Amino acid sequence: MSSATTPKEKRATSSWNSIKNDLIAYAFMAPYLFLFIVFLLLPAFVGVYASFTKWGIIGEPKWRGLRNYTKLLNSEIFIESLQNTLYFVVLAAIPLIVLGFLLALLVNQKLRGRNITRAIVFLPHVVSVAAVGIIFQWILERSVGLLNYYLGLLGVYPPINWLGDPDSAMPAIAITTIWWTVNGNMIIYLAGLQDIPEDLYEAAKIDGAGRWQELRFVTIPMLMPVNAFVIPLTVIACWRVFGQVFVMTRGGPQGSTFTVAQFIYETAFVKFDMGVASAAGVILMLITLSFTIVQLRAMKVI
Amino acid sequence: MAVSWRKDSVYRDGSLNYGRLALYAIMIFVAIIWGAPFIWMFVTSIKPDTEVISYPPTWWPNEPTLEFYTRLFNSFPMLQWFRNSLIVATITTVLTLATNILAAYPLARMRFRGRKIVLLIILSTFLLPGEILLVPLFLGMIKFKLANTYFSIAVPAAANAFGVFLMTQFFLTIPVELEEAGRLDGCSRLGLLWRIFIPLSKPVIATVAIFTFVRSWNDFFWPLIISNTDATRTVPVGLAIFVGRGLSMRFGVIMASAAAATIPAVIFFLLLQRYFVRGISTTGLQG
Repeated sequence: MSSATTPKEKRATSSWNSIKNDLIAYAFMAPYLFLFIVFLLLPAFVGVYASFTKWGIIGEPKWRGLRNYTKLLNSEIFIESLQNTLYFVVLAAIPLIVLGFLLALLVNQKLRGRNITRAIVFLPHVVSVAAVGIIFQWILERSVGLLNYYLGLLGVYPPINWLGDPDSAMPAIAITTIWWTVNGNMIIYLAGLQDIPEDLYEAAKIDGAGRWQELRFVTIPMLMPVNAFVIPLTVIACWRVFGQVFVMTRGGPQGSTFTVAQFIYETAFVKFDMGVASAAGVILMLITLSFTIVQLRAMKVI
Repeated sequence: MAVSWRKDSVYRDGSLNYGRLALYAIMIFVAIIWGAPFIWMFVTSIKPDTEVISYPPTWWPNEPTLEFYTRLFNSFPMLQWFRNSLIVATITTVLTLATNILAAYPLARMRFRGRKIVLLIILSTFLLPGEILLVPLFLGMIKFKLANTYFSIAVPAAANAFGVFLMTQFFLTIPVELEEAGRLDGCSRLGLLWRIFIPLSKPVIATVAIFTFVRSWNDFFWPLIISNTDATRTVPVGLAIFVGRGLSMRFGVIMASAAAATIPAVIFFLLLQRYFVRGISTTGLQG
């Protein structure tokens, strides 16, 4: 721009520049935002909308108001699936968090072989749930399974019918899940442990703290920010449990492992009742969101 | 007592004592618990038929054989499933990398209207349980006649926000001076991205690539719903609905299938371990 510009023109140029700047920014983001909107944001809203309709695999949705929700809340099968999932969350989420932390402490010690132990514990992370499920079906087999053989040596008799007995099926799914996914939490806690400044431990040492006191007054408080995301993500993942159940028990025996995700699968993709399945999805979302908010509030994060 | 103290060492001198022995014992126990299922799967898969349900269990077959693998590949289109998984995971990974790198640049390095809102919306989807998306995605794919295509399995997975988040975080750490120097040399924004940001971000790009690939390779719920022909079916789905079903006591073939699906993943992991660890520890997101 060679000629002198009046203040008015200048403002116009700068606002044009800022619009141009915005356009460039959005042009960069456009391909991702397209995917994000089409395959994530829009489906999320359509999912909520679908929950208020009767919608089959073909044809147009018909508005039903809250009837899908009242139907669900009066459905014994759905309520049981909620109870089963809650039971699974208690069985799996707590060990996933506590054990994840303890394993991180263990493999953070200066021990020979800690790297290989980390790698072994981490290995299931790359294995698909289908493979994990069938491996554990074999290990948990009642009469010739590996686990019952060794439990038998320890005097557990009669052998446990892990996946065939309504009382033990969910614990068996939880054991499988813990084996499969505890490594993620272990790695996050390990990173958290390695971020704790050395001088805190030195200060604790000077104050005469023992190892338990260090753990209690230094390590655990310093890991609170880590907890603030490990706990909600673990709990959300547990509420969504699907693959393990689908592969190992299909919700049985006697519906004892029938979870919410399993309910959604059957309702939407076996019975093709899309509206009711969506309502179940919305309820699942409300549960996980409210848990997350309550937990973050309790930890004073928000 | 001025003793140097390291946080990751309980015992200063590293000598063996009871506490340290106990730690070793626990560590070995842990390694066995997490390692044994893999070994057991593999050992079962190379046993002859007669030895699979031997009691007490044997940890090495008398006569190792690949019989179950032959049977597996003869009875199921394993190679087709592998090919499908490979194609799907590659599409998802390439699409994710290309779109995420582009999106992360302005989010990290430009001031523009709506930046905070875009970030907030993208990040809030971390807390969204994906089940709510299944029905609309499924109906949409049916409506546009895209069910049973690689597109339908691979593309929705690329909408995941994990990579955008990770790359934005990383781009924020790249010194502004480098960018300014590049701009003085007359680089366009795309040029800056290509010549400065991408070369400096190789580790994080590798992390996102590997994570996306493994996540896609192992994805289960969505491929189960959207593909019901062997032409597009992926390994985990094939495993779960064919191999693992209706073969109640034929655990040899089943373990051969699990091993065939697992061994490539394990090799992949051992080669690229550090990227996995970085991906999880920096984002808390787990595949």
